[in-house]
This record gives sequence, C-alpha cells and structure tokens, in this order.
Amino acid sequence: MEVQATYLERVRAGEWEALAARRDKARLRKNALSSALFGGVGAFTILLVFLLLAVIVYKGAPTISWEFLSQPPKEGMSAGGIWPMIRGSLLLMLGTFLLATPIGIFGGVCLAEYGERSRIMRLMHASVAALAGTPPIVYGLFGLAIFVLKFKLGVSLLSGWLTLTLFSLPVIVLTTESALKTVPSALIDGGLALGLSRWQTLWRIALPYAMPGIMTGVILSLGRAAGEATPVLFTASIYYSTAQLTLGWETLRQPVANLPYYLAEGYRQPGVVPDHLIWGACLTLIVLVLLMNAAAILIRTCARRRYL
Amino acid sequence: MWRIRLLDHLVQAATWMAGGLLILTIVAVFYYLLAESRYAFTRKFPYGFRIALQSPDSEYRDEVSMDPTASLLATHREGTDELDDAEDATRLPPHEELASMQSLVTATAQTSDPAQLRADELFRDCMRAPKTAEQGERFLLLAFAMPSYTGKTMELAWEPDVAFEPEFAPYEFRLRLLRAPKGISIEPIEINLNQQPRGRITLPVWKAHSQQEWLNGYLFELEARPTTTTTVATLQQFFKPDWAPTILYARFGMLPLLLSTLLITLLAITFATPLGLAAAVYLSEQASPRIREWFKPILEILAAIPTVVLGYFGVVLVAPALQKLFGEALQLTSGRGLLATALMMTVFILPTVISLSEDALRAVPNSLREGAEALGLTLAECVRLILLPAAKSGLIAAVLLAIARVMGETMIVWILSGGTPVMPDFSSPSAALATLVKPTRAIPDTIAIEMGNVEFESPHYGHLFLLGLTLFVLTLFINLLGFAYRKRAQLQF
Repeated sequence: MEVQATYLERVRAGEWEALAARRDKARLRKNALSSALFGGVGAFTILLVFLLLAVIVYKGAPTISWEFLSQPPKEGMSAGGIWPMIRGSLLLMLGTFLLATPIGIFGGVCLAEYGERSRIMRLMHASVAALAGTPPIVYGLFGLAIFVLKFKLGVSLLSGWLTLTLFSLPVIVLTTESALKTVPSALIDGGLALGLSRWQTLWRIALPYAMPGIMTGVILSLGRAAGEATPVLFTASIYYSTAQLTLGWETLRQPVANLPYYLAEGYRQPGVVPDHLIWGACLTLIVLVLLMNAAAILIRTCARRRYL
Repeated sequence: MWRIRLLDHLVQAATWMAGGLLILTIVAVFYYLLAESRYAFTRKFPYGFRIALQSPDSEYRDEVSMDPTASLLATHREGTDELDDAEDATRLPPHEELASMQSLVTATAQTSDPAQLRADELFRDCMRAPKTAEQGERFLLLAFAMPSYTGKTMELAWEPDVAFEPEFAPYEFRLRLLRAPKGISIEPIEINLNQQPRGRITLPVWKAHSQQEWLNGYLFELEARPTTTTTVATLQQFFKPDWAPTILYARFGMLPLLLSTLLITLLAITFATPLGLAAAVYLSEQASPRIREWFKPILEILAAIPTVVLGYFGVVLVAPALQKLFGEALQLTSGRGLLATALMMTVFILPTVISLSEDALRAVPNSLREGAEALGLTLAECVRLILLPAAKSGLIAAVLLAIARVMGETMIVWILSGGTPVMPDFSSPSAALATLVKPTRAIPDTIAIEMGNVEFESPHYGHLFLLGLTLFVLTLFINLLGFAYRKRAQLQF
C-alpha cells in the first residue's frame, strides 16, 4: 500500500538523505551495537524461558511419581499427592471449554460478520477489547457478587465454570474473529454464488476454514484459565480436599480444589506444604498448561501445512 | 427450504445473543461492582464517644472498656424513623417502657454486683456504632448514684473516641437531658458533641436505693443523626492514606494501595518496554523467518507460564538476591517487596509487549523499509527514524495493554508484595530506596487476601468491591484508550 509523504516528511527525508550520505564509522558502529543489542535482548528472552523451565524441571521432577499424581494429600497436606487439585483443575477446564467455546465462536462470528457497521457493533467491539483486558480479580469479584451470592450458587464448581467462562470468552471471541477474517472472500462468495444460505456458507465453508485458528485460540485461553487462580479464588476454590474420583450432580454445587489456588496458598503459608510438594505441583501445572499450548501449536502447524 | 431459512434465523439469533452477552457482561460487571460497593457507604461508625458518670474530683480514665456488654444502663432505642425535630417535646419514654427495656436489665445483670460499684464507675461507655448510614440511632442513658456515694454532686463527662474528625463525621451526635429526677430542677441540657467533643457537666447528686428506683434517675438521650455527608465522608476517607480494615475503628484509606499499584506498574513498564521493543525489533527486522518460527512458540510458552509459578520464582530467585543486596542497609527480613514484584511483573508482561510490538512493527509497509534502505540508512537509523514513528500508534496500544494487565495481575503481588500497606515516600534518597525495596501492598492482592475472611455485606466487604471498581474503571479506561490507538494503527496503513 502506498504511503503518501506529507510535506513535513519530505523535509525530514532530506535530513535522512543527508544522514545517509555521511560515511563515517561511527554510524556503522552504532548500527552494529544496536543490532547486537536487539539480538541480545531476544536471546535473553529465550534464555529466560529456558531458565525458568529448567529450574522447575530440576526442582519438581524428583517429586513426580504415580503416587504423587494419583493420591490425595495426607497428614495435613505435608505428604501424599495432589490428585484432588489436578482433578479440580481438569473439571474446571472441561466445563469452561463446554460453555465458553460455543458462546465464544458465536460472538466471534457476530464481530466478524457484522463488522463495525452500526453503533451497537462498535460498542460490541469496544466491550470485547475492554473485557479482554479486564483483570482476572475483577472477574472473581463479579463472579462472587452475581453467581455465588445473587444466584445463590455458593462457592461451587458451577460458579467457577461460569466465572471462568466469562474470563476466557473475550480471548476466544477475538481469535475467532481474526480467524474468520482470514477466510478468503472468494471462498465465501463462491459459496453464496452456488446458492448456499448464509448459515450454510458459515457452517460449511467459513468455520471449517477458520477452525484451526479458532481451536488455537480456544486452547490458549483455556490454558490461561487453567493457570489463573484469581477468578476462581472466591467462586470455586477450596484449599484442602481429599476428593477422589467420585463425580455426581452434587459435585456441581461443591467447591473444588485446584492447582493454582493450592500453589498460591502453599506459598503464602510457608511451612504447611513442604517445598518439594509445591515444586512438584508447579511442574504439574506447567506441564498441563504447556501440553495445551503444544496442542495449539500442533494444530496451527498442521493447518498451515494443509492450506499452504 | 424453510428448514434452511429457519436455521439461518436461528444462527443469526445465536450470533446476536452471543454478541449481546459481551456487551451485557461489561455492563453487568460495572453494575454489580457498583451495587456491592454500596455496603461501603453503609458502614459502621468509625468512632464514638465515651461517656461516664463520675465524681467531680476524679479524672476521666482512658482505659474505659470498649466491650459493649459493659455498658451499664445505656440502652439503644429502636424506632429510628421517629428522629424528627418536631417531636422534641414528646420524646420522653413512659416509665413502663423504660422498665420493659430488656437490655437495661440484662446490661445490669452482666456486670458484677451493682451495689459494689462506685459512682464514678456507674456507667462507663455508651459508645455504639449506628448500624447504617441511612438510619440514625439513639441511646438512652440513666444516671444515678449508688447509696454509698458520698459526694454532693456528680459529673457526666464525655470525650471522643480515637480519631474523631468532626469535619468528616457522617453523623451528628447530640446529648440531651430528657428528664431530671423528681425534686431536682435544672436547666435543660442539649449539647452538640460534634462541636464540643470533650466536656463535662455537673449534676446535683441523686441516689437510687433500689433497682426499681434506677428508672427514676436522670434520663439522657444520645442521638446520632445522619448528616448529608455520608457518601462524601466515605469517599474522603477512601482517598486517605490509611488502610486498616480489621481494627475496631476500621480505616479504609486506599491511597497506599493505589499508589503502590501505580508504582509497580510504572517500574514494570519502565523495565519491560525497552526490552520488549528491542526484542520486537530484532524479531521483525533482523531475525530470519526460521528463527522467528522458533521464537514465537517460545514466547507463547513464557506467556503461558501461570502467574502463580512466576510469583514463586520471585520468592525463590529474586527475593533472596534483593535481600542479599539491600538486607543490611534496610534491615529486611525477606526480599519480598515492591522491587521484587516489579521485576517479576516485567517477566510476566515481556511476552505480551514483545508480540504486540512485533505485530505493530510488521504492520508497517515494506515500502518504508525499502525506501530507507535505498537512501542508505543503516538498520538502527531506519528503526529510529522511520519504523518507530510509523508504528507509534500500535506501540502505544501495546504498552497501554501491558499497563492494564500489570495493574490487574493478582497472584504475583499476592505472593511477592509482602503484604504491608505503606505510603510511598520519596522525600529523601534513603526513604525512596526503602519504599522501592520494602514490602508493600497493591489493590489486587488486598482484594484477594481480605475477601477470604471478610463478613459479607459489611463495610469492609463494600470497600473491597470499591477497590475492585477502582481497578476496573482504571483498566477499562486504559483498555479503551489502547483500543482506540490500535484502531488508529489499523487505519494508518
């Protein structure tokens, strides 16, 4: 796309030309220095990631065992495993997935389909942007006020699902929207020209094409929701739980233990949970989240291969 | 055919519903935070008066018990809606009503044998908190002396409780004599305690020889009448530098929390912006596509590390280092504090800054880069003179988004901040250093910590929601600004 130069820019371009005409070593030195700086910071970031991961694996790996993953805590949380927390995190994630995905996809379709045509659509775009940046603690407070107290769901799995759904919704909506925008208009026009209805075009053409992008967004936002303790802090969390595999309708109305909350409380009350258990739980949580990330990356790569 | 059309409509309806839900959510979040904040304004009274009947030569003693059960012969009169100037003349309660007031009797029974009390211990405190701001409250006080009392006069003395600030008082306290005992004639007494928070009046002695006679003593009324400044007073206190919600006279000044949040954000953004920009420039201008392909997932991993874990890293890696550095100079017990928090926040926000700035830089059309190259500018010059100005809107949007996320991030501050609300102090270099390194407390972790053991619908609960509302409004403003900048960046190219 052409960028029109204003008068001012043309004047400044004269300055740039003068600058470019200077042939001194200082300029090149400066360039080399700053290039090295940019690269260095990039390398630093990568190193940071590996450092963090290495520390976690180093500290957490010795704790991991089948017993640690499958047993409830024992002896006042100073021994045993973390199965109830893993179970709680998985339950929270599952429900959030089931609730947030359809709503998020429809929301994204709404944003992509109707664009910014009307005032209400502009409002919708703005509120999605605002919701995406709203702090998780605010979602937690909102969940407490509306689901726990107003709807009288209590501190329960159900409240946690609803709160986490609201929390992960904007990200899903935004990724769905951007994924739908990548659908070539030729495909859509072709579908419409064939006499497909709007819904059929969406269902048969646009959504399948955009699905990898959408799923990536869904999985990433689920990963974020799984690692975030704050929205479920007041709505679904319980610190100590020995719950086993039993599932039933009453599970919905009971609070669940979950990994991030277990970790948060574990750090804050030093001495209750021994360090090696915390590191083990850290590693478990990271593995859980990164597995989701890996799945997202895999989907994206496969999809890219398929369409390119 | 009709089935397809029906499905068309259904899908359209579902789309609109989902979109509407998004708008509804943000409105509902705002509404419910505001609605729950109302409890902040119906707070209990943060201060009161201590009133004692004593012999004139005795000093007023400070160690008056604050235990409400110790209040002797002071009772709370229900029916506050009759607080009305017009009925001044008729407010004397009939004798039977007084006798039937259970609390009069039970209050007596809870104290040790009344006969052993000396006159100056007769009634100690009638400090009570009106329950809500909308209602006033009134207390009835009976004043009399025990038969063993030898003085010729007795004295009703009062003094304000801690932290009495008449200008912020949402209540006006009035003490008035409703009835003097038979055979004693004195001037009517009505004192505005807000204007005269400390004082004493002398009363002719009147002795009660039996429990039945107590009711014939001096009958005073203490009235707490709401003034119109309740909301103003709450808000004024909200912006004061004193957060102490769990003490008896709770103070809800959120200024230290707000300033600490802002300071953490400022530091984290100051660290993260140059780093993030440099990495973004590397990624978009220098790195080969192959490297970029590897870089992005790694960044995503960093972004995906749960904040709880990052907070723990702060505890394990950053805090000990800070303690080693500054521990001796500042007598730190641990390195947890503002700087540790800000450093981990930098790590937390770095991937966001990098990937958003990279997007902004890559949105700049290639023709600009090619032009720069054709002129013979070096890469660094091209970045400084052309790319950064061209991508300005997008970069500003990235930084704004990062600011909003740092402000609301809870787990890192919860674990790392140290949990002590203090006002930042930059009056001297050493004070500034202490402010930066020492423990602090921000808004999100305050909500997270205190909501766990707060009584629902209490003023404290309301104030936590008010804090949440503050955070929400701040981030909402920043997010919308960022949204506007992003849109401008999109329109630019």
